[in-house]
Amino acid sequence: MIELKDIVVRFGDFEALHNINVSVGEGEFFTFLGPSGCGKTTTLRTITGFIDPVQGTVSVDGRDITHVPIEKRNIGIVFQSYALFPTMTVRDNIAFGLKVMHLKRDEVERRVREIARKVDLSDEQLKKAVSQLSGGQQQRVAIARALVTGPSIICMDEPLSNLDAKLRVQLRNELKRMQQEFGITTIYVTHDQEEALTLSDRIAVFNKGFIEQIGTPNEVYNHSATEFVCNFVGDIDRLEGAIVDGLKLDSGRHHFIRLERVRIGEGGAGMLTLPGVVKSREYYGLYIKYSIRAGGQIVKAVEKNDGVHLYRPGEEVVVGIHPQDVMSYDA
Amino acid sequence: MNRRTSKLSPELILKAFGTAFFVYLFFGFMLLPCLHTLTQVFTAKNAAGETDPLAVIRFFFAGNMPHFVLNSLKLAVCLVVTVNLVGISIVLLTEYFDIKGAKVLRLGYMTTLIYSGVALVTGYLFLYDSDGILTTWLAQMFPNMDKSWFSGFSAVLFTMTFACTSNHMLFLRNAIRGIDYNTVEAARNLGAKPFKVLLKVVFPTLLPTLFSLTVMTFITGLCAMSAPTLLGYDSINPEIVRLAGSSTADEAFPQARAALMSIILAFFTILLLTVLSSYERKGHYLSVSKTKAKLVKQKITNPVANVLAHIYAYVLFIIYMIPVVMIVLFAFQNYPAIRSKTLDLGQWTLVNFFGTRDYEYMTSRGKLRVRQGSISGLFANTDTVGGIRLSFVLSAIAAALACVIVVVAVNYIFRNRKKIRSTVLEYSLLFPWLLPTILICYSYRTYFNSENVWYVMNHNLYMRENVRFLIIMAYTVTKLPFALRMIKAAFYAIDEELEDAARNLGAGGLRTFLRVKLPIVLPSVLAVFALNFNALFTEYDMSATFHSSYGKTYAMVIQSMTAEEGRDGYNVNASGRRCASTVFIMIISGIILYLVYGVGARDLGERLEIREKRRKRLARLRSRFGRGPESESPPPAASA
Repeated sequence: MIELKDIVVRFGDFEALHNINVSVGEGEFFTFLGPSGCGKTTTLRTITGFIDPVQGTVSVDGRDITHVPIEKRNIGIVFQSYALFPTMTVRDNIAFGLKVMHLKRDEVERRVREIARKVDLSDEQLKKAVSQLSGGQQQRVAIARALVTGPSIICMDEPLSNLDAKLRVQLRNELKRMQQEFGITTIYVTHDQEEALTLSDRIAVFNKGFIEQIGTPNEVYNHSATEFVCNFVGDIDRLEGAIVDGLKLDSGRHHFIRLERVRIGEGGAGMLTLPGVVKSREYYGLYIKYSIRAGGQIVKAVEKNDGVHLYRPGEEVVVGIHPQDVMSYDA
Repeated sequence: MNRRTSKLSPELILKAFGTAFFVYLFFGFMLLPCLHTLTQVFTAKNAAGETDPLAVIRFFFAGNMPHFVLNSLKLAVCLVVTVNLVGISIVLLTEYFDIKGAKVLRLGYMTTLIYSGVALVTGYLFLYDSDGILTTWLAQMFPNMDKSWFSGFSAVLFTMTFACTSNHMLFLRNAIRGIDYNTVEAARNLGAKPFKVLLKVVFPTLLPTLFSLTVMTFITGLCAMSAPTLLGYDSINPEIVRLAGSSTADEAFPQARAALMSIILAFFTILLLTVLSSYERKGHYLSVSKTKAKLVKQKITNPVANVLAHIYAYVLFIIYMIPVVMIVLFAFQNYPAIRSKTLDLGQWTLVNFFGTRDYEYMTSRGKLRVRQGSISGLFANTDTVGGIRLSFVLSAIAAALACVIVVVAVNYIFRNRKKIRSTVLEYSLLFPWLLPTILICYSYRTYFNSENVWYVMNHNLYMRENVRFLIIMAYTVTKLPFALRMIKAAFYAIDEELEDAARNLGAGGLRTFLRVKLPIVLPSVLAVFALNFNALFTEYDMSATFHSSYGKTYAMVIQSMTAEEGRDGYNVNASGRRCASTVFIMIISGIILYLVYGVGARDLGERLEIREKRRKRLARLRSRFGRGPESESPPPAASA
């Protein structure tokens, strides 16, 4: 569907993207994940045509669109700020692209109503100014505006980043529902790992203008290809000294384990069990995070909050680590 | 993505036309006329007819010209002190301290926003000059007093002090409102007394604004025109206008001396603006507060200080309000009341606005006589209506032209950020800011008063009706920097993603500009248009420079009314018409300010809400008067 081949982008002397190669399938929800300044938005803007690559090609369905003007790429965009035109009503915002296409008034009206229905916008809301809508409603308008012209691909640049935590979760689910309903190929940019893991079919993890790994959420989380991906996606413990020796791991490499894989109060076949002392705990409601001194280092672990087993700071516990849960990378 | 094309596209033609226009405007109407003024100083001919580059400068020091410069400097320095004293105190009294009736006081202090320039000066004259209300009352009490007491330096200083606090009410007020109240509370919590909090916590945050206001006040004092002219004070600007109209037969090097004085003004202006910008570059106080608390007014705990503050606030209020109130009241009074400066509450009239009778004047024996051909009403007097019409047209054209030029330029600057050509364009539009208005006007007057300027088709632009074009150009050019600063700020506030979104949806540059960007900046553009129009409508400095029978603007008509008042005894007709004129100006300014800050500041959401409320109110009224909601046609959504 979309293919980026050897894309290089430079801003003056600074090379922002180095040989980016990505292939996104039809109907796929594909996420570019990475910290600020890693090149994910630059890649998105290269696909949408706002940035010219100095090298490489962007193709859609086998057609090279690298030098096709923005407006002729047939790619919809949902911007970070939604970029809704403040001087227009909701209806005019959605109809903007259709009017540019010089469609007849009836056709414009029909399409606006149709897309509004699909994204749950009422007739009353269509008459309002965008400033009169809530954050969630604005997001729906932005999606409707991006989809109404019938693009083959939709790109979303951190559309949830300006919202509060609760609304973000709510809209994340709605976004996924709409994407599945429309079945449209979606490229989504975010720095939020949780968002990427919950929404995506596949994820590309960016770092300093390179792609470190492309894979499903499970692959990226449980089988991180690089130390950076392992570090960036989810919380980890770096294992050192006695624990590395106890697990008979190569001391010349770096070893990590996800917090939820560190077992407290249990050991088992093939597991390394260590005595430890709880140093502190953080209460998160759904789970509890403990810092435990064990094997000569601080090991962090999380436990589901069942309301019964609460370890107190100073309490002696047993920590269990299974060698197969350890992710190892060259130093 | 930018696609370059070598074809002669409409966009390319527009670009070429735009570039040519800006080059023409900058060189033709900014640089060359001013350079001509500069050369005038050094190409003056001495008595022997030889060019003597230093003749004017020698004459300057030998004659009384330093007197005008020193007078202007004296006025500027004194104004800085008095305007800041009054300006800071009125802002503190209405925004910082808890003074009873602060809302009413604020309205009074803000009257200068709708009542300024020549209208304000003549308003003060109506009160304080030899036939003024206050002078008349005082003369009744003290028959030996000098009835011409309100003239010269002290009168100019007094009038300008109260006329120049508008900026304090706008900008210093905003600065005080921006203070984080938590900082005040923190200082109090740490043991600081209220006065110490004001001095150590509040004042430092206001310093950048105060510095800017001080510089602007100094420049205003230096370039003062209407007050010194009408109240009789020898300062630079009125002298430049006088010299510009003088001939070599009357005195030595009049034009060259006027040019030299303009250049001296320009020198001071550039110096002060350089100081200001270097101060601004050092950076401002920035609130680091993430959750700013709204300022709570401070009670003056000392009862004596509290009473004194209230007395001071209301004395200032009276000084601000009395001319306005008196002018409004007397605008609706008949001639005997105006003549005797006594309100006749039973005799209200519109004669000063719409009276069609000929001018009546009072003889020394106290009899009213009629002078044929001089119409009494503001809107019936052909001279006055002509001035209003001319000012209206010229101001509207110039204000619109300045907005169009700046909107096009800023759109270009915005799209070509970080490129040298956009920087050049921006600085060329800011160029008039460095020059005093009088220098530009004087330069126009001398440079275009010839048939040798090829790029205006060798037309003498100072002659006959052409002077109106010259006035429009002067109005436009002097308003460019203000328009640029305001409209640029509006453009930079546009979310860049909006432009990207429009382009992504297929809109070209022109459609994006017209449908997306322009509607967003339109309130700011209209505000700039309105404010510029407001300022130009009663503008005095430029009008005086270009004054002729073909260029008699409203300000000059008002000035002539003042002159007319003293002719043939006391001219009650001219006095009444002048009051009506001031009321008319206040109404126009008030409407403009309401449109700009009231209606114009509403966003689409607020406008739709108001429309919806109106619709509901109308429906309620209809149902109350017999037409129930069932009789109304169904809304379009329901029918669809």
